[in-house]
Amino acid sequence: MHKAIRTLTEKLPLDFRVLCRQFLLRVIDLESLSIQADVVGFLGQFAGVLIIISFVFVLRLVYPILFMDDAHTLAFLREITWPMEQLLITTTFLLTGLIAVASWDATFPDRRDIMVLAPLPIKSRTILIAKVSASATVLGLAVLALNLPTCLVFSALFGSLHGGGLGVARYFFAYCFTMIAASGFVYFTVLTVQGMTTLLFPRRIFLRLSAILQLAAFGLFISVYFLEPSTPTTAAFTRGDNAWFVECSPPYWLLAVMNQLNGTLPPELNWLAMRAWIGLGVSITGAALSLLLCYVGTMKRTVEEPDLVPGAGGLHWTPRLGSSLRTALVLFSVRSLTRSRQHRVTFAFFFSIVLAIALSTLRGELPLGRHIPLSMDFLVPTFVMMGFGAFGLRSVVALPISLTANWVLRTTQVCPPEKYIAASRLTMFLLAILPVWLIAAALAIPLRPASLVAGHLLVLGLFGSVLVELCLLGFYKVPFTCSYLPGKLNIHVVFWGMFVVYMTVVVSIAEYENHALRDPHEFSVLVVLLAMVGAMLWTLNRHRTKHAVLYFEELPEVQITTLGLISIPSPRTRE
Amino acid sequence: MLELRRVAKHFSGIPAVDDVSFSARPGEVTGYLGPNGSGKSTTMKMITGLIEMTYGHIWFQGKPIEDDLIAYKRRMGYVPEEPYLYNHLSAVEYLTMVAQLRDLPGRQSSECIDGLLRLLALHDDRHASISGYSKGMRQKVLIAAALMHNPDLVLLDEPFSGLDVGTAMVLRSLIQELAARGKVVLFSSHELDTVERVCAHVVILHHGKIVADDSIERLRSLMALPTLEAIFSQLAVEQDTGLTARQLADLIHA
Repeated sequence: MHKAIRTLTEKLPLDFRVLCRQFLLRVIDLESLSIQADVVGFLGQFAGVLIIISFVFVLRLVYPILFMDDAHTLAFLREITWPMEQLLITTTFLLTGLIAVASWDATFPDRRDIMVLAPLPIKSRTILIAKVSASATVLGLAVLALNLPTCLVFSALFGSLHGGGLGVARYFFAYCFTMIAASGFVYFTVLTVQGMTTLLFPRRIFLRLSAILQLAAFGLFISVYFLEPSTPTTAAFTRGDNAWFVECSPPYWLLAVMNQLNGTLPPELNWLAMRAWIGLGVSITGAALSLLLCYVGTMKRTVEEPDLVPGAGGLHWTPRLGSSLRTALVLFSVRSLTRSRQHRVTFAFFFSIVLAIALSTLRGELPLGRHIPLSMDFLVPTFVMMGFGAFGLRSVVALPISLTANWVLRTTQVCPPEKYIAASRLTMFLLAILPVWLIAAALAIPLRPASLVAGHLLVLGLFGSVLVELCLLGFYKVPFTCSYLPGKLNIHVVFWGMFVVYMTVVVSIAEYENHALRDPHEFSVLVVLLAMVGAMLWTLNRHRTKHAVLYFEELPEVQITTLGLISIPSPRTRE
Repeated sequence: MLELRRVAKHFSGIPAVDDVSFSARPGEVTGYLGPNGSGKSTTMKMITGLIEMTYGHIWFQGKPIEDDLIAYKRRMGYVPEEPYLYNHLSAVEYLTMVAQLRDLPGRQSSECIDGLLRLLALHDDRHASISGYSKGMRQKVLIAAALMHNPDLVLLDEPFSGLDVGTAMVLRSLIQELAARGKVVLFSSHELDTVERVCAHVVILHHGKIVADDSIERLRSLMALPTLEAIFSQLAVEQDTGLTARQLADLIHA
């Protein structure tokens, strides 16, 4: 297999292979990786997480069947076919959307590409095809990892419902086509929007607008995934109150296409499949036009743009947040988070989940009117939101903004390490705990009794401070200056381990709080306990940082990397 | 006075700086010269505390620097060889951050930053992102950051890199002015003409070892050579420059 791929790739033109390899590597920002990172291991772990998600879907289908007789199994499979297909399509939509947002602009030539490649004898067409191939490779591998186990199992189970081996083969084809079409639809639509924005606006405005569009796309993908109703039946599709949602929701269109190809679509829903075909055609045409026009039109325009973009006019006010050091580090963190696309998007991922949980909670409760009692349905989501906020920011601050510029923090380190950690603590509170706390307050205050809300907000605040101290355990660094260790941290294990442990703890606390809010004695015990845990962790962190040395990772002085075009062992020297 | 006593740095057992000892006195500019890879920047980084010595001692004003590293850092200003800055900040944000990290008084530092930006002709672009700055503009930001706290020890590693002629002339005079005001100035550069004009004393490094440590006048008379370039060529340049140039041209035509 490996030999066949190698033989195949060797037949491709050398300039195309070199460019494709470079663009593929750029999907991961090399500076964000630790010098001890294992990029291949990291990609393998990422694929591992997707495969585990796919196995969870398989388990959700297969596990109930194990305890059913044949008649019940058939009825169950018929009932669950559409919801499971819809779940897989929306998950593929979400995955593609996240990759499209994470690799925003990667398919279009940026200034660096133009400045480096334009003087070389390479055709624009080669650059374009190499970029598209690199993006397609990343996307294809991710979609394959997410769908491989489900494709095989679902084809075998659902396909057999409609005519033995032929039915299985037909379902397999319909499944594969639909998932490719779903990912293509999302990716091409994003490309179309980006391309049109590039063409319509001057580059300076485009750069600002592009950042807003990227975040908006992120929020849209997450919100649709969490808020979309997930019980599709023919009756539900044709019901009047669902009509607008079905008409506007591309995952439903693709569900219709899948069933059309599989021969299971009711004739009254053919219009839905037609929408999908039209949508696919529009997105493919739009993306192709955008790419062609961008490569023809904007490459020259990009070179002619001035290097120095004037700063935004108006007020340049910098608030003081305690000591000079604290102000410097908090403002540095805020600016890093807001101005670096990579950091902004990663944080937006976690915060989109927070907002989606908040919206989902609100959607369930708005019809109930005012004076809803505090229940587990509200308490658990707020704790989960707090966890996503705190751990999300903790993972974002581990991505460096510029390793090579860290020397300035080292040569100006005139304060003891505990002052730096105190600044990191304030950053965590201001950027993660406070926003989530305010969202929870906004959700609770208008709909619930004031005394219970006050009690819960106190508990939530204390819980947030405990999470901050947990995040700071062993963190002897300045935010955004250390480097991430992909491949060294077993994310597939940590992710699921954290999820299970955190949910267990959160549900226990919420259950206790649910009783305690109606019993002043129990409530004081809970508050004192949380305050004590927070204070103990704070003392521990403070004591440990007094003897710690701040750690700044820097890139090695001299690092030579080869393009790997010929089979010479890559020399990697350090001074 | 800055004193290096038998300072060495080994990378994976290979000496990059080997047993280096010299002094830089207040009131004079000490030039630190050497070909690429001779260990100049490594020495500079050891003096700033960015990398640890394998062995040896560095003393400043009669005390080992490791005795009170924080007090030492307060008195040191450093312009690194490469203009690495946080590109997402503007010049004024970067300099304000450095001032805050150094715990300088707010009003005083903002006036100083404003003045430095005006004198270095960066004031009009002070709110623009550093990512768009030219190499010379970045170098000016580094020079401002190194000097704004009025350091007693000034370490300059290739400070003229990317500067326009006017700013380079200003910087040359500034280096002499700083020395005249009693500061210790250690200055590393490949521009031998500038070093010859600015420095009273030079240290020449080759393969991590000191091959000359004296005043330029004395070196000239001892070696009977007219210029610093001739002295440097004799001590630290191993290749026949004319022959290498011919070989390069031949290679391109091959």
